[in-house]
Amino acid sequence: MTTSAILLYVDLWIVLCFYGYLLKVRKRIGFQLGMNISIVMGGMAALLSGVLLIIQFPFHFTFITMISTVAGLTVGAFFGLLFDYQTFVTGLTNGIIIGLMSPMIGTVIEMPTMFIIFLHGFFVFSLLTIFHSIKRS
Amino acid sequence: MLLIIFLFIWNLLDLSSVYWLFKKKHRLFDDRFTTTMGMAITMTSAFAFALYLKLLLPVDPSGFYLVPIIVGVCIGLLFGSFIQSPALLTGIYNGFMGSIMGMMFGAVLRNPALCNIPIDSATMIESNIVSLAIFTACCHALVSQFIRYSFKV
Repeated sequence: MTTSAILLYVDLWIVLCFYGYLLKVRKRIGFQLGMNISIVMGGMAALLSGVLLIIQFPFHFTFITMISTVAGLTVGAFFGLLFDYQTFVTGLTNGIIIGLMSPMIGTVIEMPTMFIIFLHGFFVFSLLTIFHSIKRS
Repeated sequence: MLLIIFLFIWNLLDLSSVYWLFKKKHRLFDDRFTTTMGMAITMTSAFAFALYLKLLLPVDPSGFYLVPIIVGVCIGLLFGSFIQSPALLTGIYNGFMGSIMGMMFGAVLRNPALCNIPIDSATMIESNIVSLAIFTACCHALVSQFIRYSFKV
């Protein structure tokens, strides 16, 4: 199962590059789109880190719940801090809730490969939607 | 169990201080701010209280499964009733979602075989419950601290 570690690394770089892109264009983005961006990115970071880490290390449920919660919290908070104080609090709360839930999904799935492919397709689709709405605004 | 009762009381004090601040100062801010802050505190506290109630209440009379959901919806109604209907809808929805998720988390912590989690000895289950309950209480304290800070500025 080295693929899940590589995928986690790739996702980390995707999130960092997207943060750098948003840092350049954040003047053009309104608060409504900013709130949606912080919710989507915090939730996806928590979900991906929880599912991929629990597939990699199935015997450490407690630590992985804490790690994925902290990941969702920090990513939601940093994406929210680009815009406003309210987007900051919304992204932080959403990251906490989804991060506490996500390792449970990782333990009950039957076909891990299919689920990971579906999750990354969903991640790329939401990123493309955000790019499209930034271009239109 | 004593520790969980202590965490419950701690989070209840936090929640009541946030509610008092809301009641005193919500006319100073606009509606969007009140709705967003109510959504954040409703979701986190419904999650935390549903988790504690699921861990504290006994399993045997099965009518108790409704209590955490009712508590979550009541918190949502409490924080949504400051301004008119959109905030009420947001509060009820977020309280319902948070309490259902907290109930699921409590059920999995009590019986890890539900989720195929390889923890089977009783001491491991106990330490798992204690550490994750303390972690949830710290997250709730963090969120309510941020909300109090935002009302002070």
